[in-house]
Amino acid sequence: MVEKICEKRQKKKWLRLLRSGDHEAFAEFIEKYKETVFLCCRRLGLREDEAEDVASETFLAAFKAIGRYSGQAELSTWLWTIAYRQGINYLRKNRKQGQLKAEPDEQVSDSKEQGPAAAAQSREREKIVWESVERLPRLWAMAVILYYREEKSIADIAKIMQIKENTVKTYLFRGRDRLKQVLAAAFEEDIDNGR
Amino acid sequence: MAGKLNDDKFDEMLGQSLRRHSEPVPADFTERMLKQIQEAEQRQILARVVLQERLSLAGCIVFSVLAAVGITVFPGRIAGLLRSIAAGFAERGGAYIDGLRQTISIETIRSEWQLYIILALVLGFAAYCVVDMLVGDRLRMA
Repeated sequence: MVEKICEKRQKKKWLRLLRSGDHEAFAEFIEKYKETVFLCCRRLGLREDEAEDVASETFLAAFKAIGRYSGQAELSTWLWTIAYRQGINYLRKNRKQGQLKAEPDEQVSDSKEQGPAAAAQSREREKIVWESVERLPRLWAMAVILYYREEKSIADIAKIMQIKENTVKTYLFRGRDRLKQVLAAAFEEDIDNGR
Repeated sequence: MAGKLNDDKFDEMLGQSLRRHSEPVPADFTERMLKQIQEAEQRQILARVVLQERLSLAGCIVFSVLAAVGITVFPGRIAGLLRSIAAGFAERGGAYIDGLRQTISIETIRSEWQLYIILALVLGFAAYCVVDMLVGDRLRMA
């Protein structure tokens, strides 16, 4: 209980420092969320150099806007929103938004159903799952990652991706369904073994 | 096959597997980012200083031009006004405000309001330029 109160106070103090533009606090902020930002950029299909550029732009935009962060949304949700917008803007500017189509590429989906299952014996389950998520259409993958990995609510995901909640639900349903088909074999073994 | 999978179990496994994934980040990204932020801040400060300096310069130019125009267009009035202000300072000393009130009466202001508006603007801008030149940097740093 006491620990929780202390933690809350420390977090408040850190947020105050962050809002005031303190560089040390911002370094901590970058350390904490850089993985998340790169994850967002790469899932949008950006190349390595592009992802780094967009990640830098995201943190710069966050640094400029942090003074206006009200604390209503979670800090990670706020940053996800910036990162996603930066990524989408980059794709728009470079006319690459076509790679964000929400429908699966049939050829890709055929090959992936065999890929993970065949590789199940030699690879870790996490790797297989991750690779399967990566092969989903980008918007489905984004929704799945935000929901299952980042544990965001449907409303938060809708806010981050700037789409309707029903669309998020559709992406999640389709993504999950596809993953279930693809991963069934690999997962069944684990379940059978009681893991 | 998919039907056999327990939904809750699948969700749990999916969540666990995704949470365990760690996204690779280029080495020294944080340091490079902080450097970029510092540079951006410096650029912002520099831009603000340049803007203030430009405003001061514009103020000086506008003040001079308006003063020249004022003297050319209303030479008598300007001379009279300056004389009356000077007289107010010299003769009445501490009671200069009272003197000024007498010198520049409401009737005078009413009849020559355009001139006083121009003068007020020019003096205000000039005062801003002087304050900016003398203590502007200190105020900005604070």
